[in-house]
Amino acid sequence: MSPPAKGLSEFVAEANEILDLLGRDLLVLDEQRRSELDPDLVNRIFRGAHSLKGLSGMFGQDAMADLAHAAEEVLDRLRLGKIEPSAPVVDSLVEALDALQALLSEASREGHEGRSAERAKLLANRLSSLASFGPPPSSDELDEIGLPAQIRAVFTEYEEHRLKENVRKGVPLWRVRAAFDLTDFDVGLAKVNDALKPLGEVISTLPSAEPGAGSGIAFDLIFGSKSAAERIHQALIELPAKLAPLSGQPAPAPSPVAEEKAAAEPARKPATTKRHRVSVRPRRPTEAPPPARVELPRLHAEEGPTPTERREPDLSLRSLTQTVRVDIRRLDSLMNAVGELLLIRANVQRLAESALAAGAHAVSKLWGQELSRECRALERKLDELQTGILDARMVPLGQVFDKLARLVRRLAREAGKELDFAVSGGEVELDKLIVEELSDPLMHIIRNAIDHGVELPDERAEHGKPRRGTVSLRAEQRGNHVVIEVSDDGSGLDESRIRQVAVQRGLVVADQAQEMNRRELQNLIFLPGFSTARSVSAISGRGVGLDVVKTNIANLSGIIDVSSEAGRGTTLTLTLPVTLAIIRALMVSVSDRTYAVPLNSVLEIVSVEGSEIRTVERREVFSLRGRTLPFMRLARLFALPERPLSRHFVVVVGLAQERLGLAVDELIGQQDIVIKPLGGKLRHIPGIAGATDLGNRRTVLVLDIGALMEEVISPERRAEFI
Amino acid sequence: MSRFEELLGDFFYRPDEDTAGLLELPEAPADSSPAPKEERPGEHLVFVLEGERYAVPIGKVREILRVPPLTEIPRAPSSLLGVMNLRGDVLPVYDLKMRLKLSGQPPRVAGPPSEVEPLPRAARVLVVHGPDGDAGVLVDAVSEVVKLAPSQVEPPPPGLSGERDCVVGLGRQEEQLFILIDLDEALG
Amino acid sequence: MGSKVLIVEDSKATREFIAATVESVPGVEAYPTASGLEALKLLPRHRFDLIITDINMPDINGLELIHFVKGNPSYRDTPLFVITTEGREQDRDKGMALGAAEYLVKPFQPHSLEALLRRYLRIA
Repeated sequence: MSPPAKGLSEFVAEANEILDLLGRDLLVLDEQRRSELDPDLVNRIFRGAHSLKGLSGMFGQDAMADLAHAAEEVLDRLRLGKIEPSAPVVDSLVEALDALQALLSEASREGHEGRSAERAKLLANRLSSLASFGPPPSSDELDEIGLPAQIRAVFTEYEEHRLKENVRKGVPLWRVRAAFDLTDFDVGLAKVNDALKPLGEVISTLPSAEPGAGSGIAFDLIFGSKSAAERIHQALIELPAKLAPLSGQPAPAPSPVAEEKAAAEPARKPATTKRHRVSVRPRRPTEAPPPARVELPRLHAEEGPTPTERREPDLSLRSLTQTVRVDIRRLDSLMNAVGELLLIRANVQRLAESALAAGAHAVSKLWGQELSRECRALERKLDELQTGILDARMVPLGQVFDKLARLVRRLAREAGKELDFAVSGGEVELDKLIVEELSDPLMHIIRNAIDHGVELPDERAEHGKPRRGTVSLRAEQRGNHVVIEVSDDGSGLDESRIRQVAVQRGLVVADQAQEMNRRELQNLIFLPGFSTARSVSAISGRGVGLDVVKTNIANLSGIIDVSSEAGRGTTLTLTLPVTLAIIRALMVSVSDRTYAVPLNSVLEIVSVEGSEIRTVERREVFSLRGRTLPFMRLARLFALPERPLSRHFVVVVGLAQERLGLAVDELIGQQDIVIKPLGGKLRHIPGIAGATDLGNRRTVLVLDIGALMEEVISPERRAEFI
Repeated sequence: MSRFEELLGDFFYRPDEDTAGLLELPEAPADSSPAPKEERPGEHLVFVLEGERYAVPIGKVREILRVPPLTEIPRAPSSLLGVMNLRGDVLPVYDLKMRLKLSGQPPRVAGPPSEVEPLPRAARVLVVHGPDGDAGVLVDAVSEVVKLAPSQVEPPPPGLSGERDCVVGLGRQEEQLFILIDLDEALG
Repeated sequence: MGSKVLIVEDSKATREFIAATVESVPGVEAYPTASGLEALKLLPRHRFDLIITDINMPDINGLELIHFVKGNPSYRDTPLFVITTEGREQDRDKGMALGAAEYLVKPFQPHSLEALLRRYLRIA
């Protein structure tokens, strides 16, 4: 069986990632060469080569595997202190990296038998000879510290080496026993590690085999540190961890106690021939340095790279892709610059117009026309620039979808569900910022669908459904919006239960709950305080933290909607703007204040007579082509001095299938604006998405249409107002 | 306005048509030592609220501005006067008087020109490093920079600190009294 | 009822390769994890019929995982394969000494893993 084509691209991606990291780390290694090496760094490089070897081997890339293997051998000896990081060693490693890159690039263009293989073979030989220099396996110093055999048995060779290094340097060794709950031990363990790392080296982490009390799990961390016991205690004080000297380890006192400990440890092997005395003092400098240091310069002279070898044309430094990675903040600042340019353009345009208006002089008029034309050219170019920057921010949703697909597999198994995961629309592109922010909410929604939506296989069979459920994730672009749907064919929402819970929690009063239509009722699940652990299973648990999901989506100027049919399944629909950074807006005026309404949510503008406004349940409404829409006076909503008007301009806004009429005093015009977020505490002001600068030093607020519609339409506000 | 205040005004606010008086604080006073400005103990900027003198560590203050046009934020807490635009950043501007219980109602300083109350000529906005990022604070006037040794600072009188928990002490220099406030607490 | 195989391997491509091989055997489900810690989280939630683990991994290494599994009455009888690479005989020997049933040396052919799987999971 040869790995499928999809496998090859995954292989190339992962190998590339490893090589990138290796490249960076090797540079650091080269800098550190003359001073003390960071053991973590060397180990990381070793692990990189090791992973690459395994990876290449699995994918039949033998040349890469062989070279990575040779590099790994050298690195292994390096991290075990058996050879020194001399110039030839580091140079050869760097060269190996280049060669690996070349091999990978050949592999990625399948079928291209390259010339790199030959060269890789030579390099591998050179590395092997570098690795073969060094002392014979040293006697086991760890025998002398009398470490319990069962602990030694689980140390990898590298961990043993680090332990020895610590012993050699006279660093006291500790055992930190930490106990956690099964649910969050990884978090707890990370905290303990964070507390310990500044004080020394965590050599090994051993899960304790003894079953912990109840649902707990314990770990023993073997920790080397020169810090005073008191300081280590202090660092661990808030954590569920206990500190003790490592048994069999000379106590952090000035006298060696190896003999005594040795006697206390019956499981010890017989002493080896070359017996070192273990002492807490550092090894004396007279003790032999590794012989490799003597051998290497000669080796370099004989087998070092020749100049021609260095100029191998295949050894290209060019990367495999034409892609650059850019910090999104750089794009933001470019976008800001474009925003400013647009303002300047508007000023120039104004100048041109006034020159035209002052057209008594033919010269002035001519000049104005000229300027006006140039202005239009400038505008076109600015448009291109803007579009270009926006495009650069776009990434396919597939980035998130792929991650979710992997998660689904795991979640389904953990929940004991059988299901198919159908994905479509991964190619739809959205602003990078939005895509990043989407992964958590989507994960949450999908987790809910699996845990609480899709029934267990037996239950499904009982209801005459196929045993395998389906969860689908679909994305589609509709104009300026992207719609993402997550649906399942599970049991659906239990409306009577929702009604009951909402009334119990005081989110709506009983009468209201009776009057609500199905959609309103189902959308109650997004209210904060709706879900609790208890209610979860009873109503297919769609309420778990959905208020948080809703807030996250709202922060992206999006809205979320649910529709469900009992026994048939549930669909959550997310409607999101394609981009956040720069938008075209309709500028409106209310009570002498200017506000910006994002044009992507404006459907049309109508004029409404005062007499056309009616009330339903004390809420103002008006009719538009036979449909009744809420009529929201912006001035009233914002508590601004209202002007008596007989005719209103009504901006009809819509997201998904919701519609709302926003009454304003005047329409100013359209403009491209750069939205700046309101930071800090202002982020939570309802109905305001951000601010923009119109060039006259006055800040104009941008309305958050999603949130305003929410206020008018959602029953939570009704509960508040009625 | 005293002659001293006028001089100080000129020192801090050179007229500048373009930015209507934006000016960075002078980097360091003439007698500055090599130590970074923020860490020099004891230097405080003194400003006036309802005739009383208040002081904050000068390291907290990023800039002093003439009051720029402010945009009110609908449905925001009343101590938030509005937002201003500082070189492209949108910053909130707060009223300290409400927080210090010197007044019960914020001045109408944001909104369309027709609805804005005129402010005293000496009024300024201090741009400070607040707990949620930079923020503006409206003051009646800025008076001076004083150095206060620890011995010149006493704890706030008991009655005062209970009600106005952002008051952290009283500074005394000859006959002058300065109310030291903790801006993070006041804006938090 | 199918068999469940826990896979512990930090290299993503290798992990997925092993998972694919495991799942190519009918009735066998793969539970791939990327680290010893992840594996520890999964262990109590399922009854695994087999564990396949790499040795050199960050956080908990494979040997420690074997030690844990073999020292715990609930998991002790689960057969366990270690994956090693050429040149790491010492680590491999330790793994076997700790109670691993089989070892596989990377790179290995899918059919050799498949054969072992069928033998240990008693699938014809």
